[in-house]
Amino acid sequence: MAGHINTTNRISGAPEIDYATSARFTFDGRSYTGLRGDTLASALLANGVKLVARSFKYHRPRGILTAGSEEPNALVELREGARKEPNCKATTVELFDGLSAQSQNRWPSLENDIGAINGLLSPIFVAGFYYKTFKWPASFWEKLYEPLIRRAAGLGRLSNLPDPDSYEKAFAFCDVLVIGSGPAGLAAALAAGRTGARVILCEEDFRLGGRLLSEAGEEINGRSAREWLEAARAELSSLSNVTLMPRTAVYGVYDGNTYGAIEKVADHILQPAAHQPRQRLWQIVATRSILAAGALERPLVFSGNDRPGVMMASAVRTYANRFGVLAGKRVAVFTNNDNGWRTAFDLAAAGAGIPALIDTRTDVDAALSARGRAAGLNIISGGQVVATNGSKALNEVIFTDARGVKQNVSADVLAMSGGFNPAVALTTHKGARPAWSDELATFVPGDLPGGMSVVGAAQGEFSLGAALRGGHTAGLAAASATGHDGAAGDAPMAADEAYRHAPMWHVEGAKKAFVDFQHDVTASDITLAHREGYRSVELLKRYTTLGMATDQGKLSNINGHAIMAALAGKPMEQVGTTVARAPSIPVSIGAFAGHSRGKDFKPTRHIAGHAHAQELNATFIETGQWLRPQWYARPGETEWRDSVNREVSTTRTAVGICDVSTLGKIDVQGPDAAEFLNRVYINAFAKLAVGKARYGVMLREDGFILDDGTVARFGEEQFVVSTTTANAGRIMKHLNYCAQVLWPELDVQIASISEAWAQYSVAGPRSRELLQKMLGNAFDLSDTAFPFMGVAEFDWAGVPVRLFRISFSGELAYEIAVPANYGDALSRRLEAEGQPLGACFYGTEALGVMRIEKGHVGGPEMVGTTAEDVGLGRMMSTKKDFIGKALAYREAMVDPARQRLVGLRPVEAGKPLAGGAHLLEKGAAPTTANDQGYVTSVTYSPILKSWLGLALVKRGPERIGERMRVVDLLRNTEVEVELCSPVFLDPEGSKLHG
Amino acid sequence: MAELNTSPLTAISAFAGAISHAHFEAHGDVHVAERANLGLATLTVRKGQREALKAALLAHYGLELLDGPRVSRGNGLILVGTGPDSFLAVKEGGGWAFARELSATLAGLVSVADQSSGYGVVRLEGPAARQVLAKGVPVDLHPLAFRPDDAAVTLASHVGIILWQEPSARPEQDPVYDIAVFRSFAESFWHWLEQSAAEFGLRQAG
Repeated sequence: MAGHINTTNRISGAPEIDYATSARFTFDGRSYTGLRGDTLASALLANGVKLVARSFKYHRPRGILTAGSEEPNALVELREGARKEPNCKATTVELFDGLSAQSQNRWPSLENDIGAINGLLSPIFVAGFYYKTFKWPASFWEKLYEPLIRRAAGLGRLSNLPDPDSYEKAFAFCDVLVIGSGPAGLAAALAAGRTGARVILCEEDFRLGGRLLSEAGEEINGRSAREWLEAARAELSSLSNVTLMPRTAVYGVYDGNTYGAIEKVADHILQPAAHQPRQRLWQIVATRSILAAGALERPLVFSGNDRPGVMMASAVRTYANRFGVLAGKRVAVFTNNDNGWRTAFDLAAAGAGIPALIDTRTDVDAALSARGRAAGLNIISGGQVVATNGSKALNEVIFTDARGVKQNVSADVLAMSGGFNPAVALTTHKGARPAWSDELATFVPGDLPGGMSVVGAAQGEFSLGAALRGGHTAGLAAASATGHDGAAGDAPMAADEAYRHAPMWHVEGAKKAFVDFQHDVTASDITLAHREGYRSVELLKRYTTLGMATDQGKLSNINGHAIMAALAGKPMEQVGTTVARAPSIPVSIGAFAGHSRGKDFKPTRHIAGHAHAQELNATFIETGQWLRPQWYARPGETEWRDSVNREVSTTRTAVGICDVSTLGKIDVQGPDAAEFLNRVYINAFAKLAVGKARYGVMLREDGFILDDGTVARFGEEQFVVSTTTANAGRIMKHLNYCAQVLWPELDVQIASISEAWAQYSVAGPRSRELLQKMLGNAFDLSDTAFPFMGVAEFDWAGVPVRLFRISFSGELAYEIAVPANYGDALSRRLEAEGQPLGACFYGTEALGVMRIEKGHVGGPEMVGTTAEDVGLGRMMSTKKDFIGKALAYREAMVDPARQRLVGLRPVEAGKPLAGGAHLLEKGAAPTTANDQGYVTSVTYSPILKSWLGLALVKRGPERIGERMRVVDLLRNTEVEVELCSPVFLDPEGSKLHG
Repeated sequence: MAELNTSPLTAISAFAGAISHAHFEAHGDVHVAERANLGLATLTVRKGQREALKAALLAHYGLELLDGPRVSRGNGLILVGTGPDSFLAVKEGGGWAFARELSATLAGLVSVADQSSGYGVVRLEGPAARQVLAKGVPVDLHPLAFRPDDAAVTLASHVGIILWQEPSARPEQDPVYDIAVFRSFAESFWHWLEQSAAEFGLRQAG
């Protein structure tokens, strides 16, 4: 297929192209060859490929419009298999050997696309089509309309395979961030860099130079601009305080002088090297920034302006000068400004025919006209293109001259220029709006984010000389503002070419004239929006989807708003413009995730005894970020409940060991520590004896329960507070807030020691025996020496030990803590010493079973409840003030009809209970009005051989003995229960004190 | 009747598990090692005792206490500034006994909590150490901005850390950082470190 490897559109002499190094690639399965230095777009054009995509709505044939990241048309699927990536702009894809790309949004092929029928049906697919069409009948929505819309929505296809590559995030800091490496950016980076300031220069392209890469014949400092560019690149590379970041696009401006940037680390090679990320997401903190992002050329809106072969004039020039590619052999030009002429001159010089130069203006500069005539151009002043022809590529341009006489020329490219729009997106990310300039007929930066200055074309300074001067001055100023005033030489000098321009927003015509190429919004859609009253730019945007595509309307918005302004008879500054949000270019989700994917989505916290628990065949459960043993299955146990029942029975009849290291542990010290705790807990702590622990409850300021736990007093001025696992961080914050903000006068010091200690609960009738055997002479565990709620600190086996006689299970129980580095060893020692006593480890499930059997409140009972609600009201001290006291006695908080804690037992033995089910009186309909409360916790008790529940029920404690229905409308179950005391086991607490 | 087991418990340091499973290169520009068995303690100044503490530190340890996020060095211990009036005290080889020693020496001036098991500490060095940290630590570590004995309480990826730079022969080219990570996060931190250092080569120091 030699015909497909034709590169007849290639011309010689482009300095950025390595003519000796070819790169083979495929597009839609066909093989082509390009050169190193090409983009996919330039290589396709070099091979004569004009048709590259189908449009979003009408499936119209589309070609390459631009040569940059504003490209709306030439979106392709890049790579294959798991590395496939949709919506890559061919104009920014750096060509590499082995690249494969596919066109999108077409079926069965790009040449013959069934979806093009939408174009024939276009009278019904106008703006607002969805709102008008898919309204009724309602039953059609789910089955017909939604699937239809979903199939039409979106561009490109995902691989649906896990991404094999990695992405990462990184931080950078500098004095001066320069965004863009055109002449203004280079001059700024040179000036700032020479002073010694820390400079980062980000450039989205893979080559530094911006417009200097695209223009021919320019001069800087009296030599060719090319020579100056080479020297500037070399000098910047040599400065150790300057970091050059090509392939890195700044996409957002955030608070704290932070800039988001995406570095395409390995998009330009077949696949990333080992350990190399595909992309890197940078957060750059810059004291000052200089925006040198250039300007985007504006399309003209006329009939047939989307036909493949209609291109931006500056892009046509870029393909010729930078890439050595003639986009066409006969290049007609349609312009309203001097830039179109420049393309005509350069293309003529490169060997293309220029069948017509159609300028909407009648007052073109005399010198320019003279130069055009001297070059033999067919100049049509006051002309307008009214139509284009060609089935899948342009072959004819039809235009009128100043007298309105229609003419036609054959052409394979029509280079259009509607003037330039400064790239202002990054100036608006913190809420500023751009300002309209009548002189330039475009928006220029308005208010700027703090620390930013804008230079060159981005500021509306379109000449080369102005860009260099502005860049140099801004670079110096930014460096000086960061304390760097070194010598930076003179500003580079260049001529100030004229930019004469007469706005032309819309050429009336018979056929579709596109405003937004990516979303297929036409001039007549805007007329329709105006007619139907959607005239504000925000309404216009949503009604027509103008500017809502992935290009954020970079090319289309101003044309669309100007057409609306003309229809509404308002000046542009009153019509205004929509603002763009970050990211200003699409950024892969993978880059935002970085390494935080799969099990790295969030950190995992491991207990010191994790490895031992694994050896004991523990199943783990995520509790926040912690992994806690949930149960320890033994051979023969086929389901989790078997293991849990065994663990409960063993603990209640012999002894069980449970890792409770994840509970929060907070060290509270200082002369005022006791007073401090007295204020944060509802019950009294000032008189807690040294060597004792006490259960405490904290309230939120609004009087509801915040958390519960025990407080142990190890010395006059030293306490250890325990919190629930879930609230460890929150309580630490709360206590810090209390100490630092509420009572700065108290001399109290707070430290989190949750991580410092590994702690094990040893519970059951044989717990004392186990621990006494293990601790030997180090400590006397007898009931008289160490009674219930005793705490002690002593050394044993070469480590400090903290011992607590506290119980969550209702059994005789202890908690033993050692520094966490010894947690694994303690866990193993407990196992070894416990074995002869029939001990086992138990997990969070058995822990939960035993706390429900004992009626201890847990997380589900402490959500939006008062201390009184859960039976702890008597703990609230009346003799002192504490956080939450003032609001705990509000009328509704002490309403006797509140839902309060009770126990539940099914009337019919063996009936399971469901958490979350609601309680109803017998015979009452299941309505909200009849709701009596809900089930908070349920379990099967292997000791009582029954299901048990805890519930919050209206006037619950007064209704003990009453029978009610537990109704679950989600699972469709209903069980009759009897309300009972929440303490199902050992209500006298005799086991605790044994 | 089983024998009474009175043998001392064996310590396992925070990073021991991660390092035993880690993949190290023979050559690499990032060198890492755990600083195990350190004495670590949270030290918080009691109300109005800062001046007295300064005098006591100078007298007992020859340590001149610096303000702010700085590392103060004395005989046998360093204090890393972690917040107003709060420090992480570090002693080579001190273990859990270090907190008791500090508590006794500085009684009445500070509150001390043992953290010898609360944190794992790794030392990261080598020419690419700074580049690795840039992949997770939102702090400017450029030699002009962060020097030996500077400290920060910050993040590495999503894990909280205390970071400080140790003095070294060529701190600009070959910086040495110590990083304290809450013990339970050691494996997650290590995983981030391995991923981030892979392109430079992670070598086991020492």
